Amino acid sequence: MSAPEFKYEITRGFLPGHRACAGCGQASAVRLIMETVGPQCIVANTTGCLEVFSTPHPESAWGVPWVHSLFENSAAVASGIEAALRKQGKLSGVKVLAFGGDGATLDIGFGALSGMFERGHDVLYFCMDNEAYMNTGIQRSGSTPFAAATTTSPAGRESFGEDRPKKDLPAIAAAHGIPYVATAAMSFFADLRRKVKKALEIEGPRYIQVHVPCPPGWGYEERLSVEVGKLAVECGMYPLVEWENGKVTRVRKIKKIPVEEYLKGQRRFRHLFRTEEGKAQLPKIQEIADENIEKYGLAD
Amino acid sequence: MTLARGERMLMRGNEAIGQAALDAGCRAYFGYPITPQNQIPDYMAAHMPEVGGVFLQAESEVAAINMVYGAAAAGVRTMTTSSSPGISLMQEGISYIAQSEVPCVIVNIMRGGSGLGNIAPAQSDYFQAVKGGGHGDYRTLVFAAWSVQELYDLTREAFDIADRYRSPVMVLGDALLGQMMEPIVLPEEVVDPDALPPKPWATDGAKGRPRRIVNSLYIEPLDLERMNRQLQARYDEAAEREVRCATEHLEDAKLALVAYGTAARVGISAIEQARAAGIPAGLFRPISLYPFPNRELARVAEQVDAILVAEMSLGQLVEDVRLAVDGSCPVHLYGRPGGVVPTPAEVVEQIERVMADTRG
Repeated sequence: MSAPEFKYEITRGFLPGHRACAGCGQASAVRLIMETVGPQCIVANTTGCLEVFSTPHPESAWGVPWVHSLFENSAAVASGIEAALRKQGKLSGVKVLAFGGDGATLDIGFGALSGMFERGHDVLYFCMDNEAYMNTGIQRSGSTPFAAATTTSPAGRESFGEDRPKKDLPAIAAAHGIPYVATAAMSFFADLRRKVKKALEIEGPRYIQVHVPCPPGWGYEERLSVEVGKLAVECGMYPLVEWENGKVTRVRKIKKIPVEEYLKGQRRFRHLFRTEEGKAQLPKIQEIADENIEKYGLAD
Repeated sequence: MTLARGERMLMRGNEAIGQAALDAGCRAYFGYPITPQNQIPDYMAAHMPEVGGVFLQAESEVAAINMVYGAAAAGVRTMTTSSSPGISLMQEGISYIAQSEVPCVIVNIMRGGSGLGNIAPAQSDYFQAVKGGGHGDYRTLVFAAWSVQELYDLTREAFDIADRYRSPVMVLGDALLGQMMEPIVLPEEVVDPDALPPKPWATDGAKGRPRRIVNSLYIEPLDLERMNRQLQARYDEAAEREVRCATEHLEDAKLALVAYGTAARVGISAIEQARAAGIPAGLFRPISLYPFPNRELARVAEQVDAILVAEMSLGQLVEDVRLAVDGSCPVHLYGRPGGVVPTPAEVVEQIERVMADTRG
């Protein structure tokens, strides 16, 4: 088969014309990230929404070298790229990036990610966090927030949705003592760009977890992705924090709105406002946000 | 949940698999998301709590199959389901389960491969399923369905067969069978897991009795050889008792089409078209893929002039067919890999080609 014919002049890392859903938070975030990184990079991408919507063969939305592997492997593939190029003296000026979703990163690829951190590979890893397995049809992941309904943590007579809190992978990454860890959000463009720029200036393993709202997975109107993402941050459920060498160095202050403001517009939390058991979970969710606010001094 | 048992109802293949497991007394399901089988974990998440069983979404297929190993060792009827790349990840665990002699059911809703491949219906995991898949001298007992009803029946029976042989049993479907809806009749009776025969090897607590050990490590080669032979003896017994196959229009056939699963569904349409055009063709459909219906197929080979194998892979089933036929008639292959489902017209064309070659 002949090489695909690109309709666009390749001046950017992530091009239009891909097949993301309307309002996809991940597509906007990746565009911002790739604009900030520039063309001198190599991307390793796991299976997931990003890979599926950006690379339907023979098309590709990537204007830079890109390699795909299955779910659990992008940290390992990026480690291999980095190690091989470094040994040949070809790494100078080239950034090795890895992209994985929250299922790929927090669940199945967790071991490979920890290995990449521990070995000190010069790789910038992005976890695109839409808080469930969206590509396969909204199954819960380790990143699904407490009480959210998914197809494998359904709300109903026997269940109020996900019964475990979100895994705190940024803190786990920071505990590896790697040079840079940050949480970011698609909804805060300038903050996301600043964190990517900062990470690019640092050598060694770096981890940025980006909150990316998902209209079909979370159940809200497509035009509201930026708004929904802002509410997650402003209520304290998604704290924006930076760690350097294992220590918190900067946080984004928030308005401290009640968590209900964030939850009420989303289908995945709708049961929390309809049943007695659901309503009983709301104070627990507020408690999670309050703990974040206290721990990181988000409202000081 | 209210199901109209004993009456025709419409059900999706993947959901029928879930219901079959519940009806068979499966009380521990472990899974991980992968298309095109996600309706099975979704179904189990919704309905396992109703029978007081465990639904657990693991962090990977490696974890899921090893949770199955744990639950099976504890004597609980247990199942995992996945699709091709996920089944590949499970192979180490399946090898351990087989050599440790604990029963479980594994469903593979196959998709196009290799690598990430695609999510279309395929049969490219035939070798992996029937030849062992993981490392070592073991097999899984493999059954392939061609309808939603048969997905239910085989999945349900797979639990009994797994217990009987203390072996992993694999049920094969594909993206088409898993996703499509068809009429199905659920039997009135369901299995009460508490009424099943005791498992005198299960590690379910040693209070008041000697300990039991579940293990696949045998450092001494002679010990391991003995264990390997013990597994083989079970497979030999299964070859006597568990072979399943079906035939259509074979009585006067000069050509036998050999196909399983979705390929056989296409095949039966092709045979009906061929017979309407005056070609005496018939269908031989293996249902147990391991043990393979060797004797049954060998008899067919004595009767027909030629065999055509139609498979949604590139020369996998045909190897077992050639072993069974052992040169007693010509064996031709029509394979469509990559998630392509052949049309009946294509298969008719192949039937005509083979008939022309055979006469020539």
